[in-house]
Amino acid sequence: MPSVQQASTDSATASEAPSHLLLAFLQSQSQNTLTRLYQRPSSCLSIFRLLGPLERQIVMNLLWLESSIPASTMATWVPHEVRKTYENSLSILSRLHILPQSAVKLALNPTFKTSLRHAIIGGGSSGSFGVPATRDEKHSSPSIEVLDAYALERWETILHYMVSSGIATRPSQGVLFLLQRSGLMASIHGGSLQITSLGFQFLLHSPHAQLWELLLQYLHMVEERQMDLVEVLSFLFMLSTMELGREYSVEHLSPTQTAMLEDLRDYGIIWQRRATSKRFCPTRLATTLTSSSPPLPAAGGVSASAHGQGFIILETNYRLYAYTDNPLQIAVLNLFVTLKSRYPNLVVGAITRESVKKALTNGITADQASRQIISYLTTHAHPQMRKNKPLLPVTVQDQIRLWELEKNRMKSQEGYLYTAFASQADYEYVLNYAKQLGVVLWESSGRRCFFGTLEGHPNIRGFIERRTAGNA
Amino acid sequence: MKAIRGVVLTCDPAVKQILLTMNEKLSFIIEDLDEHHLVIKADEEWRVRRELEAELEKNTYSLE
Repeated sequence: MPSVQQASTDSATASEAPSHLLLAFLQSQSQNTLTRLYQRPSSCLSIFRLLGPLERQIVMNLLWLESSIPASTMATWVPHEVRKTYENSLSILSRLHILPQSAVKLALNPTFKTSLRHAIIGGGSSGSFGVPATRDEKHSSPSIEVLDAYALERWETILHYMVSSGIATRPSQGVLFLLQRSGLMASIHGGSLQITSLGFQFLLHSPHAQLWELLLQYLHMVEERQMDLVEVLSFLFMLSTMELGREYSVEHLSPTQTAMLEDLRDYGIIWQRRATSKRFCPTRLATTLTSSSPPLPAAGGVSASAHGQGFIILETNYRLYAYTDNPLQIAVLNLFVTLKSRYPNLVVGAITRESVKKALTNGITADQASRQIISYLTTHAHPQMRKNKPLLPVTVQDQIRLWELEKNRMKSQEGYLYTAFASQADYEYVLNYAKQLGVVLWESSGRRCFFGTLEGHPNIRGFIERRTAGNA
Repeated sequence: MKAIRGVVLTCDPAVKQILLTMNEKLSFIIEDLDEHHLVIKADEEWRVRRELEAELEKNTYSLE
């Protein structure tokens, strides 16, 4: 199983991202939907690959058992210190309806069990992993380079459009709509689309996370478009288990899935010779949907290799050298770097107070800006930088954080100052009431006054009026 | 008892001192609460923020 070998790398990433975006979405679906989804072996395999290492371990242990095992037997394998992690994994599996929650016995959902077994040993109903097209006499199937170039071009068109705030080449209507619906871009006063603060954060994420963020938004729109969620999900999972560079036939797809072909073509997830073609090819974006390999090609020219390996060198004097000629990467860097000069394969700039401040005002959310910038620099660091420990110069990291703090030196909140109480008892009486409402921002019993939020004021005023009316 | 409408500012003592100096030119502070808190007039908030920004900017050295 490829996924079992990935366990070690996955566990490293698992610590920072507790669970995959999609799992949260699946957990919110009904049992009925999930059971229908689990009828397809490819879906089960894909979901299995998205699970954390411990969940995978539990599933594997139970997969080949014909009958259920007592929960206590399973629990004896678990040392006391990690009991909490184990229970957490069980609850994730039960929310996915893979392992029904039971205090007595543990057994996998029978549908899931059958399908995952089929996925591993083969057999069962075919078609869940896609049906390869017969050889085409006129055209040879596209090479992997062609597919990679296509996926990259499509994907970067979308990102570049976002970065340029609507000046670069427009992606298709469907993509524009998706960007707007996901709140990554918004049109201001009915004008052209502008990137939002959410969009800025999006750009600093890894391509894999970006892809799933867009696809999740797509899944949220599925019902509005009266498409069947199970069909859509299982098609995505099917794509994720397909082989790169092989052509598949569209004949066995349901009408919903055929309709999806057009959308997925726009995102660069699949390739078709013509819109009406009877065959399609998944690109690397598709085949890595549920794996930990990078979704964008790593081989090729200077710019392409920069994708996989990282291209940024950051020095202790805040100077930054980026070995790239990719307009998208330069545009992203331009969000928080003052670029000084540009050569055919190199951009030179510096991280300055002004450039970081510009990023803050531009919308990279204030409380996370430094974290986002640092994580972007870390993930795209040049291999030469990886010899350093720590990876990024500490001075620069700290300074970025300090610049961010500088921006937030003063916090403000509107409200009312309650003062000049007649007696200490009076003061404490009103303060207690305000505290119960949870609206007190500041208090001083010595000065006998406190500050409450705007929202709490009508309640407090009513409370005092009732009290004075009662006393009179 | 009375209730006064305003904006409570939470800041570090250094910023508070700058605000107190600014207040001498054009009064906007309603109540000085403690080292970290001030209550100011609600409609003055944005002017105060702008002026504070300009004041802090004077104390930084720029390469550009």
